[in-house]
Amino acid sequence: MFFRDHAGIYIHIPFCDHKCIYCDFYSIITSDNIQAYLKALKKEIDYYAEKYQNRNNYVSVFFGGGTPSLMEPKYLGEILDHLHKRFSIKQSAEITMETNPGTVNREKFREFRHAGINRVSVGIQSFDKKELEFLTRIHDAETAKSAVYDAYMAGIENLSLDLIFNLPGQTSEIWLKTLSEAVNLPVKHISAYSLILERGTILNKMVLKGEIDLQGEEIDADLYEKTIGFLGDYGFEQYEVSNFAKPGYECVHNSIYWQAKEYHGFGTSAHSYFDGKRRWNVSSLKFYIDAVNEKGHAIIGEEELTFDERKEEYRYLYLRHTGLNIREYDELFSEDFMTKNEPLVLELINHGLAEYDGVTLQMTGKGYAVCDEIIARIE
Amino acid sequence: MNNIRNFCIIAHIDHGKSTIADRLLEYTGTITAREAKDQILDSMDLERERGITIKSHAIAMEYKAKDGNVYALNLIDTPGHVDFTYEVSRSLAACEGALLIVDASQGVEAQTISNLYLAIDAGLEIIPVLNKIDLPGADPDKIKAQVIDLLGCKDEEIILASAKANIGIEDILEAIVKTVPPPVGDSTLPLQALIFDSVFDPYRGAIAYIRVKNGIIKERDKLKFFAHDKVYEAEEVGVLRLNKIRTGSLKAGEVGYVIGGIKDVHDTKVGDTITINKTGAAHPLPGYKEIKPMVYSGLYPTNTEQYEELRDALDKYRLNDAALVFEPETSAALGFGFRCGFLGMLHMEIVQERLYREFNQAIITTLPNVEYIVYKKSGEKVIVDNPDHMPLPGEIENVEEPYVKAQIVTPSEYVGSIMKLAMDKRGIYKNTVYIDPTRADLSYEFPLAEIIFDFYDKLKSISRGYASFDYEFIGNRESELVKLDLLLNGEPVDALSMIVHRSKAYDWGRKVADKLKDLIPKQLFEINIQAAIGTKVIAKSVVKAMRKNVLAKCYGGDISRKRKLLEKQKEGKKRMKQVGNVEIPQEAFLAVLQIDE
Repeated sequence: MFFRDHAGIYIHIPFCDHKCIYCDFYSIITSDNIQAYLKALKKEIDYYAEKYQNRNNYVSVFFGGGTPSLMEPKYLGEILDHLHKRFSIKQSAEITMETNPGTVNREKFREFRHAGINRVSVGIQSFDKKELEFLTRIHDAETAKSAVYDAYMAGIENLSLDLIFNLPGQTSEIWLKTLSEAVNLPVKHISAYSLILERGTILNKMVLKGEIDLQGEEIDADLYEKTIGFLGDYGFEQYEVSNFAKPGYECVHNSIYWQAKEYHGFGTSAHSYFDGKRRWNVSSLKFYIDAVNEKGHAIIGEEELTFDERKEEYRYLYLRHTGLNIREYDELFSEDFMTKNEPLVLELINHGLAEYDGVTLQMTGKGYAVCDEIIARIE
Repeated sequence: MNNIRNFCIIAHIDHGKSTIADRLLEYTGTITAREAKDQILDSMDLERERGITIKSHAIAMEYKAKDGNVYALNLIDTPGHVDFTYEVSRSLAACEGALLIVDASQGVEAQTISNLYLAIDAGLEIIPVLNKIDLPGADPDKIKAQVIDLLGCKDEEIILASAKANIGIEDILEAIVKTVPPPVGDSTLPLQALIFDSVFDPYRGAIAYIRVKNGIIKERDKLKFFAHDKVYEAEEVGVLRLNKIRTGSLKAGEVGYVIGGIKDVHDTKVGDTITINKTGAAHPLPGYKEIKPMVYSGLYPTNTEQYEELRDALDKYRLNDAALVFEPETSAALGFGFRCGFLGMLHMEIVQERLYREFNQAIITTLPNVEYIVYKKSGEKVIVDNPDHMPLPGEIENVEEPYVKAQIVTPSEYVGSIMKLAMDKRGIYKNTVYIDPTRADLSYEFPLAEIIFDFYDKLKSISRGYASFDYEFIGNRESELVKLDLLLNGEPVDALSMIVHRSKAYDWGRKVADKLKDLIPKQLFEINIQAAIGTKVIAKSVVKAMRKNVLAKCYGGDISRKRKLLEKQKEGKKRMKQVGNVEIPQEAFLAVLQIDE
């Protein structure tokens, strides 16, 4: 367990240079409304600050996108200043910005650092030329590497990379080459995602049209297994299905999600979770700005979790993450986990899918690979 | 009585029985064309969809003949499928004549022949009719020759008709009046009325369709049924037009209905005789048989929590269907359910479909089987209608299985392939009769078990749809049968057990093990599938463990979505059946049905 009773803040920056084929996040390819958007963000922050003042100590702020690094550093600085005025954000808080290579140079990174950013997550995805072209990324391998070095030289040492595996035609040779390029960079954290086919993406259309074939379960499983092994050898420990870190560099912000802690999301399509409710904002930039100007917020949906739903989420989030502390779970939900699941747990352990030290039931690498199936069988 | 004619129609499926019936009803003004909702006699939706008449019905027409007299013509409809042979024979017993409808291009089929023999056995006058003579493919001369050969009738006795084009309808009506004898019977004798059909009305109870052979039935008569001890009072008696028309009484020779506050169709059994309590006839009419199921299968709710609902649905359904029998049973794999007996595969499908449509019950059916008679070494005789109840091999002296006599009518070019199919199905060849130079009538004896799954489909496929098939039960015979068990990770799955002939056990074991491998999805752990006779494993296959199933991303916005997906996944798992650590999808329980030999 990393944190107790701490919350996070997410700020969505929807602006992008272009749309990548695999991306299903809300983004727009224009910068016309940046000023109006920043104004609305501040207004939305004010609205919630008044309603929920002093409730949490915030340990994380995360600028996600879109491409937040397209923004002027001073703008993110303004937002951060505004947040500090309105919320109790810890001095040691992790302030992350998602970055795309090719949008930032060393000088700009320095400005971001001065604005308050202390962690950068670089969306590299691959170091293979053909794969980058396929993914319609604007950068090449060299630009990607220099983005990491620039951030590092600008004084941001808490660096993370995003990579994608199981791309069409990807062999383990190509993938291991990308991984070895990654571990040779001065990074502390790597997120490695198996390619997801999201509805509404360009990639999905390409698959539906039969223009490309996705690789099957066996190759995916092999690549995943190799990822866990390889990154482990280089000191990156798996602490979630797709996330690997040097000790002490696990992402604070994402751990908030995975420990079912509270978070506030501001901006288009941002999600929040507090007071037992999940809420989400409207996706459209125009509607968002109008709604905030009118009502102070832009929520278009919310759900209050039932006791059973909270229990279910808690179970699977922890099992995907650092493991389920059985005693804490039983106390929190008046449950008897082992009585209900003992035969399955024994089988998981016998088949090397999970480990249990008497306190925490945790997935092994093999277990993470089939985590969805496992959580569907747990009661 | 001289002006009554009771007749039925014998035809193969699609040879035009229902359209001919419609034309007769229209011609006699019984219904208007507008009322003829296409095929009026098939009143159940399911019947109309399948183009077959499942339950027989009756309808009365008034016809003014060329001789100037008005006749009451009672058309008694017969079911058209082999599962319902007994009901056919009871319908025939209510008539004095039959129209034999033969498609002028298709010719004589197996069902035509078998039903015709039933009609001749029942002493009916036969009126041959060639239907669809206006179609381009019609070959009246050739088909006439077949009919003449079959009936020994004269060329000019065969009526040429087309129900679609309204040709020959009057000829048919005239022939009925002239050829079919008026009913014989004596209204002064004690009442004997044959139940040839019964239906259930939720408001009125069971309605018996009857043919009065002797005596008179009147409202307020106290009725005695020979098949049971209950006595009912006749509340309403009448004749059948498009609707029921109350007449208060029916006398010898007449056909109609009786309603008596009877709560259950099992008290108005087809084939039973009704008489007056105490003062009535001493003996029933001949020919009554208790109908016995031929095919058995386990019916289980897809969701184990719906057992009670399924029981209610079956209880209600059986009010309507005297042929369905069921009793509770338990399966380790499927939980609580029912062992049901059916007249045949079609009957089973209909029950399943109607439970789903009318009672909203989703059910799993296990592999159908026949009833076996097991003689144990201890001298005990055991009836086995569930393969899992088969005694252990060491205890068995011998096993008998039901056999049927089967008739296959086919264009002669398919005789070779059909004989091969019959051999695969352990058929015993009896003889071949050529109906004409291009058409053969093959006689066989088969173990019933061999023809209940896919025989008919295979026959149709190898003969491009031209061969037809009919069968009847002839008795039980000793066979070398073994119980084949299916084991998943060492655990036998009771609902997958089957009884097969020893000569086929290895082949089946191999095929079932392979089929299950395809039907059981990959799971967390490897699944070893074994087919075994007793302790001897005869075939194996393996479902490899699942290697990857996890959503890569689960951040702020993904969490709810993930939970909903998970709920769906769990819902899906509820519909799977758990045996040991293996989840079995429902399709797997019918795996054997999908196996191609």
